[in-house]
Amino acid sequence: MIIANGWLSEQAVMHAWAMATAAVVSAGCGLVGTLLVVRRMSLLGDAISHAVLPGIVVAVLAGGRLGGPIVLAGATVTALFTVWLTRSLAGRRGVAEDAASGIVFTTLFAVGVVLVSALASRVDLDASCVLHGILELVPFDTVPLAGFEIPRAFLTGAIVLAALLAMAVLTWKEQLFAAFDTDAARAAGMPVGLATTGLLAATALATVASFEAVGAILVVAMLVVPAATAELLVHRLHSMALVAVLVAVVASCIGYLAAWHFNTSAAGMIAVVLGLGYLAAALSAPDGVVARLAARGRLAWRVTCEDCLAALWRGEEAGAAAALPPAVFPRALGQHAALLWLRASGRITTASDGGWRLSTRGRAEAETVVRSHRLWEAWLGRHAELPLDHLHPPAEWIEHHLGAAVRERLEAEVGVAASDPHGRTIPPERK
Amino acid sequence: MAAPHAVEFHDLTVAYGGRPVLWNIDLVIDAPGIFGIIGPNGAGKSTLLKAALGLVPLAGGSVKLFGKPLDAVRRRVGYVPQRETVDWDFPVSVMDVVLMGTYPRLGWFRRPGPRERAVATACLERVGLADVAGRQIGRLSGGQQQRVFLARALAQEADLYFLDEPLAGVDARSQETIFRVLADLRLEGRLVVVVHHDLRTAAEWFDAVALIDMRLVAAGPTAAVLTPDNLRRTYAGPLDVLDELGRAVAQGSRTR
Amino acid sequence: MSPLGAIPYNTLVVAVGVAAVGFAAGVIGSLGLLRKRALAGDAAAHATLVGVAAAFLATGRRDLPVLLVGALVAAVVSLGVLVLIRRWTRTRDDAATAIVLGVSFGLGITLISGITARGIPGGGGLEQFLLGHTAALTAADAVLLAAVSVVAVVALVVGFKEAVLVAFDPAFAAATGWPVAVIDYLLVALVAVMVVVGLPAAGAVLVTALVVIPPAAARQWTDRIGTMVPLAGVIGLVSAVAGVVASAGFPRLPTGPMIVLVAAALFGLSVLAAVVRDRLAARRPIA
Repeated sequence: MIIANGWLSEQAVMHAWAMATAAVVSAGCGLVGTLLVVRRMSLLGDAISHAVLPGIVVAVLAGGRLGGPIVLAGATVTALFTVWLTRSLAGRRGVAEDAASGIVFTTLFAVGVVLVSALASRVDLDASCVLHGILELVPFDTVPLAGFEIPRAFLTGAIVLAALLAMAVLTWKEQLFAAFDTDAARAAGMPVGLATTGLLAATALATVASFEAVGAILVVAMLVVPAATAELLVHRLHSMALVAVLVAVVASCIGYLAAWHFNTSAAGMIAVVLGLGYLAAALSAPDGVVARLAARGRLAWRVTCEDCLAALWRGEEAGAAAALPPAVFPRALGQHAALLWLRASGRITTASDGGWRLSTRGRAEAETVVRSHRLWEAWLGRHAELPLDHLHPPAEWIEHHLGAAVRERLEAEVGVAASDPHGRTIPPERK
Repeated sequence: MAAPHAVEFHDLTVAYGGRPVLWNIDLVIDAPGIFGIIGPNGAGKSTLLKAALGLVPLAGGSVKLFGKPLDAVRRRVGYVPQRETVDWDFPVSVMDVVLMGTYPRLGWFRRPGPRERAVATACLERVGLADVAGRQIGRLSGGQQQRVFLARALAQEADLYFLDEPLAGVDARSQETIFRVLADLRLEGRLVVVVHHDLRTAAEWFDAVALIDMRLVAAGPTAAVLTPDNLRRTYAGPLDVLDELGRAVAQGSRTR
Repeated sequence: MSPLGAIPYNTLVVAVGVAAVGFAAGVIGSLGLLRKRALAGDAAAHATLVGVAAAFLATGRRDLPVLLVGALVAAVVSLGVLVLIRRWTRTRDDAATAIVLGVSFGLGITLISGITARGIPGGGGLEQFLLGHTAALTAADAVLLAAVSVVAVVALVVGFKEAVLVAFDPAFAAATGWPVAVIDYLLVALVAVMVVVGLPAAGAVLVTALVVIPPAAARQWTDRIGTMVPLAGVIGLVSAVAGVVASAGFPRLPTGPMIVLVAAALFGLSVLAAVVRDRLAARRPIA
């Protein structure tokens, strides 16, 4: 029940807090993840999220509370240690960067799991929490704040998010420059090393804040997928960060509700929803799958139409009946459709003898195509060693890609009154 | 009927990501000889080699070796790639690498035997590396590494060799050794096609050259081709038109 | 009673099975490591969970062969998704691996969690595939794992020169007429098979360690591939067996982490030995 006695029911409040916690921690991950993805450090994010486990366990053993400052510090130290160890190993024989990373983080994660299992009685963690979090139980662990009972995990997440936002705003310029061109940034005197260390520390913070919500492994999804989705949709770094945070928050809410509905793990569902979001972006983005296939189709259509027009024009020039480019099924189908469309749009007309004729408009367009063709033949003949009969095929292809400005430049080189290498006149530009 | 050309490029076009990098190359090369492919950086010289070897897909045109498509004559074609393509940390010895040249003749699943080792040893002697046969390849100098690649290609016992910048970053002594081997190959009636970066040495080493800058500028005997006019057209050519056109083709649209 | 007196027959067979898996993982992993593809297997490994859960849901059966077939299908599909992402989007390789890893693992957790929440009989044991649990293996299971491992190793040995050629210089291999794409695909398939076979022992999260750490350790001892590969196998074998034995002393502990710790210790020792060797070699005057 959502509403009971005129107020939101207690159950609804619990759900709201859980969703709010997920939203807040995933927002932090989305923000940090943007920089990780852009700097090709996604696998480092993977490594850190696994490797902080022993640091967390040790900190909790030392009396820290999950989400408290001791644990945050412990995780950050472990993260930096992980990176240092990876870098040291990466130079050795047979150990490339990714192998070194894999060795270090699996080992540290294993250490963490062993510690958690062995010290289960003394440590307030368990293995399944480590792997996929306990978002559903988060609302029940509260701390009093200004008279209200706030879930501790939410509070930690909010504080970490604020810290991450502050770090981002303060160091945005440096992060941007370092992400775009690390060497140039270093050469320009920017503190690249500091920026990188800061990014790693931020990753550790975001990981620990998300720990209770989604566990160590699904943090990877929250770090990388929103940012990768944003990368497909927008191109400027700050837009990417905004979209990533938005995607992360929306996916968290939808994922939580879906998990409630299907009675399964919230963390897992959030990851699934993020994956679906990525898929949707890959398909529908301006340069996504659908757009690319559509562009290919449009090009093929334009080429077919222009080839028909050019063939008719050449027929007129030769004074004979036009010979359309030979085509067998299924090309013939496309050509037939193109002819019908050309007639419908007023570029060609049917003549009394059953053949096709160019209209004025069609003739103008056809001349442009033939002009492009012959200009290219003339230009290519001057600049490349090609026998005469080898000039036609490249021109057949290029004629569809030449625009007015480039045609002007080609003409400037070959001369206004020139003819193509076969001796045929180049039609003038139609204004 | 005249003997087929050793190498024949016909209207060859290669595109990366939809963008043409080689435009309509038409070129024939005959054996025997040492043939150079010269041009500025990024002109597509390596790409031309890779197209001949079937390592990149063709966007148009064709390649014939000895009058036949590549797959029919692979046994007769040797390849020396650029040094950067390989991880020199790989735990194999010089002999192991040279033996790889004998693999095509061995076929699937058979191990190299005494005959293959003898061939490999002979090739190592030819390039002057017989004494380091057991060394791991990471422990060689740049010139030695290049000679290992050459020995591997020699072990293929081919009639036609393609070499991609074999003299880049190589010490003078190794350069001489390599060139001596190439000259011997020419004496044996074979054809060696070399992508080369250095104009000054081109004149003394190559019988004939092709000047490439995304398209074929000129080809023929070295002295006739390396004229100031041709060099100007190659090294300061009209690339911006091709660049813009390449972009338009990749996007499927028109230029401005 | 078994041949070895006090040790029960079942345990013995399981130990042999785990040893075979460890050996094969080290051997096959060597080629993967050298081909610089160490972490592609990680994405496939995390995806196997989906296959295990789906196989259980589809067939209602919990026998190991059924679950492992599901795992293999999921591993192969995840690698296919990686290829699709590379081919059709601007997303870079490292991000693509992380996406496939995270999302497929999330899907796996969703399925397993849903199964547990609904109390479907037999679903409770699926969680063991996360971190490994050999105590539940039957002798028949172990024999299956050992058999697959042996076949994988034999396949690699037979095609060894082709595998090394393609791993070392794929351009030269292609130019000399070898079908590089096919050989590469077979190598990747072998890694996927090893990941699946290693699931019961090491679990989805940590099985890549079994495929990556022993070869890296072996490489520290030798410069010759003919020595490195069998040595990697031995190190993998020792890690697997020692890890399983060690975790037998702690019944609540999953087996995966102990196997990884043994392997990591061996790796650490190998690196130390290599560093010492290099220092000594540097001190010795050049003969």
